[in-house]
Amino acid sequence: MTAPETAGTGLRTAHLASRPGARPTVGEIISVLILLLIVLAAVAPRLLAPGDPLGISPADAFQAPSWQHPFGTDESGRDVYTRVVHGAGESLLIGLAATAIGLGLALVIGILGAVAGRAVDFATTRINEVLFALPGLLLALVFIAIVGPGVATTTVAVGLSTAPGYARIIRTQIRAVRGSAYIEAAVVLGHSSPRILGRHILPNALAPVFVLATLGVGQAIVWASSLSFLGLGAVPPAPEWGAMLAAGRPYIELAWWMTVCPGLAIVATAAASTALGRSIQARTRQGDG
Amino acid sequence: MLRAPHTFSLLGSIAIVGLLAGCSSTTVTSDEPVEGGVLVYATGDAEPDCLDPHVGGNYPQALLATQYLESLVSKNAEGDILPWLAESWTESPDGLSWEFTLREGIEFTDGTPLNAAAVAANIAHLKDPETGSSTGYLALGKVESTTVVDDLTLRLDLTAPDSALLDSFSMPWLGIQSPTALERGEEVNCASPVGTGPFIVESWTRQDSITLVRNEDYSSAPEDAAHDGLPYLDGIEWRFIPDATTRYAALQSGEVDVIDNPQPNSLAAALDGGEITALLAPRPGASNRIELNSSKPPFDDPRVREAFVRAAGVDEGIESLFFGTVDRSYSVLSSVEKEALSAPEYFEGDLDAANALLDEAGWTERDDEGYRVRDGERLTLSFPVSTNQSVPAEQSLFEQLQATTKDVGFEVILEPLDLSSWYGALFAHEYNLVSAPYTKVGPDVLRILYHSDSTVPAPSGYFANLAQLKDSELDALLTQASETSDPALRGELYEQAQEIVLSGYYAIPLYDQQNNYLLGPDVRGVRALPTVSTPTFHDAWLAR
Amino acid sequence: MPVSGARRVLRWLAVRLAGAVFVLWSIATLIFFALRLVPGDPALAILGGPGSQASEEALALVRQEYGLDRPVSEQYLLAMGRLLVGDLGTSYSLRQDVLGLIAEQFWGTLLLTVLALATAWLLALGLATWATRGSRAGRAVASALEIVAAAVPHFWLASVLILLFSTTLGMLPPVSVPGPLGLVLPVVTLALPLAGFLAQVMRESLADALESPFALSARARGESETGVRLRHAVRHAALPAISLSGWAFGSLISGAVVVETVFARPGLGRSLLKAVTDRDIPLVTGIALVSALAFVLVTIATDALDRVADPRLRGS
Repeated sequence: MTAPETAGTGLRTAHLASRPGARPTVGEIISVLILLLIVLAAVAPRLLAPGDPLGISPADAFQAPSWQHPFGTDESGRDVYTRVVHGAGESLLIGLAATAIGLGLALVIGILGAVAGRAVDFATTRINEVLFALPGLLLALVFIAIVGPGVATTTVAVGLSTAPGYARIIRTQIRAVRGSAYIEAAVVLGHSSPRILGRHILPNALAPVFVLATLGVGQAIVWASSLSFLGLGAVPPAPEWGAMLAAGRPYIELAWWMTVCPGLAIVATAAASTALGRSIQARTRQGDG
Repeated sequence: MLRAPHTFSLLGSIAIVGLLAGCSSTTVTSDEPVEGGVLVYATGDAEPDCLDPHVGGNYPQALLATQYLESLVSKNAEGDILPWLAESWTESPDGLSWEFTLREGIEFTDGTPLNAAAVAANIAHLKDPETGSSTGYLALGKVESTTVVDDLTLRLDLTAPDSALLDSFSMPWLGIQSPTALERGEEVNCASPVGTGPFIVESWTRQDSITLVRNEDYSSAPEDAAHDGLPYLDGIEWRFIPDATTRYAALQSGEVDVIDNPQPNSLAAALDGGEITALLAPRPGASNRIELNSSKPPFDDPRVREAFVRAAGVDEGIESLFFGTVDRSYSVLSSVEKEALSAPEYFEGDLDAANALLDEAGWTERDDEGYRVRDGERLTLSFPVSTNQSVPAEQSLFEQLQATTKDVGFEVILEPLDLSSWYGALFAHEYNLVSAPYTKVGPDVLRILYHSDSTVPAPSGYFANLAQLKDSELDALLTQASETSDPALRGELYEQAQEIVLSGYYAIPLYDQQNNYLLGPDVRGVRALPTVSTPTFHDAWLAR
Repeated sequence: MPVSGARRVLRWLAVRLAGAVFVLWSIATLIFFALRLVPGDPALAILGGPGSQASEEALALVRQEYGLDRPVSEQYLLAMGRLLVGDLGTSYSLRQDVLGLIAEQFWGTLLLTVLALATAWLLALGLATWATRGSRAGRAVASALEIVAAAVPHFWLASVLILLFSTTLGMLPPVSVPGPLGLVLPVVTLALPLAGFLAQVMRESLADALESPFALSARARGESETGVRLRHAVRHAALPAISLSGWAFGSLISGAVVVETVFARPGLGRSLLKAVTDRDIPLVTGIALVSALAFVLVTIATDALDRVADPRLRGS
């Protein structure tokens, strides 16, 4: 399972200076449109797909895509298009919430490690190492075994297992920013430590991390689908994308649309948010230059 | 994951059982059997933790043990008991004492002779708490002591008559092992049990395969085998391929010769013709059912149970999810059991009736989401599903059930759980609906599943009566049936017992426990042993 | 100077090793208590699973034999004491020595993950180089490939590859077979998503490297663009990603759970899944410790390499 956090090592510490960039590119416009569409599906699915995502019709099972069912039907005769649209909410929730949990935890660990004393740094580094050294899936499996399955469990499990990666990057970023010339200048100017941390270090250190988190949303959904494959993901009959992907896999030879359609939704979300994240990053970098 | 049912078989008490083994021998050809070759078998069942079926005792162990262990008796396709390692037996008039005479001149593959003392050692091994036997231990519950009468004659003294004794001894979980081998201790014996069967366990690479080689001195084929002598195959490579799509791909590409637990669409393709053929061998005992927990609300009210059963339309779903390869069952017993009572009248879908029944039971209001409410409480049913035991098609069927019963206002909450958590939920009575497979030879399985004694948990917390059915009339019928030796009377008693279960709406039968094998183009002569439908390869050969 | 240098290195190593021991101890403790929160009686795991109908005597015997009847604190101390002397205990479900079981399966998983890591590296390097190369269209295709590859779950990719290369083309076996052929599909399945990810990381640093002064001066010296790429930029860009290898290795162990299950390969990933399902505490602990140890060692090794490569770090 790949996780988003690692991209950070390749990220530079960009000093955030908001200067409006040039005109938006075609890619950016497309990304924004895709994300808007997904958010619309999450907020008001009935606008895009008025049908019932749970409405079964066994006699219509495994129908190939047609005008009536643009994404075909699944093993219970449910309309895959309707399910993909209605699944956006839960999938996006898993993606966003898991990333938020991972980042939140990482912030605590990372900031403490970077700004508190040596002892705290040593402790948080070790905590992070422990979390890092545990296979993420083991963490998730044990957590689900303790709490029981469900969207909330899956989300927390995924969030927990991505936290160490984010924490590591945050710590590195904060240290890099702390050592930079403008912080030294702020210190020379006699600014208080909390002020330096709040006004200068955090915003500059975290900007690239948040860009990185855009990658994490798609990754978290993929992660959750692996848990569904192991039988421990979203609870049926929720049309969550990862769960749909896992449920369609046994029929891959017979009904490719059952996995390809929700899979494309995941890829579109991941691609659009990554592309947008990159654009934002590129623009802040230009601002730097 | 696609692990196949993890089932336990239990003690029976009535001996004469019709087992119409549904094995269609697809491999009858005029060809002369070819000697040699190694057959590759790929199983989707769990890899056993121990190859000695005395330890624990589940279906994956039975599948393997059939290849290297043999039992005292067997059964033919008509369900009659056949002599196997025991040549003959007698029961005392009071039913408290049995004498078994063993076949002469048979040796275990380690050279130890098969004699009365060897069988006595096996019974002692099964009854020893340190062995940790479940299935065999319970099957021998009434056996009090064993006496070696002479070299080949063993007497068993029982605490009470047990007319299921022969059924019990036919099961692979009571296979006879070399006493010398048993003395090597559990760890060694688990890895290489020694029996009299057609093959010998040579090596075991965990998570990968078990290598079985031909028993070059084999001489104890049962009467219904197609031939008497040595197995045709040089050996079997027994592989563990848990994923059903991979397993089928391996069969298609010729990496393996036989697979079990195929997906319904693969099975349907094989039944339609082509190079890959199918062997259908439904398991005996109970059918696959959904049990309704009658010990707590809302299913303590028979009207609510009936409403649920009437609202649960599953016929269409079974047809489409299983691609027409299974028949809907209306009996709690497997279709291979002669005593099975099929009562479709209790399972006719009727939404109006269901709504009326729920109204009558006081569930009159509906909330915003359309679920019924009574005294501010929603009509919610918890349905823990074991992801290790239910195949994807079955899990989809439960989702359909959830959708159909929602129409009349039930909220079914499906909880996918791993095996340990699933048992945990059952032990804590945290379920309203549950589906648990059960394999056992004979209609006495009804006593295990529905006698009130089975609501009392075992030391582990396990109880088999998941419907929590406590009915003294039913108890009396089941006990009487297990004590009578008159087949006609017994059939009648079992019919009455099943009528009580079905008319009380304690269970929704779905279909026979699926036990199917797909055979590659070169495979000939495979059949399922009519005891618990495990495949035997003594007669098998490879046409290549 | 050499003396103090050596002492400094030794001191650094000692601190790191102490840290490693702490990490392993924490993981053992974490797993010990977490698995006791999981519903399910470990004694049943020993007696053939939770559906076991073992008698009261059998349960009592097992509880006594495995010390499950003692207070948790005592069990914990006993377990840690055994770990101290390198005794991982006996698997509940398999009734075998955990160390032996792990040793049997370690190499298969190691081979799979190392090959996958190497493959992912090569693919990522190719993608990243392609992505920073001139043509707009080419760049777009490369970055699309990266994103798609990173967003594909292993279990789905595995099925697609089996369908394509085994069932349809008949080129590769769908399950593990002796020899290199059986490794191709599992390795590719594990490598592709990681490659998509690494490519995204590398591209960042590659783009930086190509604009850096040394690349400019190399061009000024008249080196070809390919030469600049291969000799300088790629080497430079690879550095941060190399330090990721420790992490990547850890993530591949998680991926191995799925890949080993689908391709029916024996290995630690599959054992881990079974061990968690069976509540086999010694086996879960053993596998977690071994993969943590591998992770820690790889991290120490890459850090040491960093110290060698970047003298500035030596002082800290």
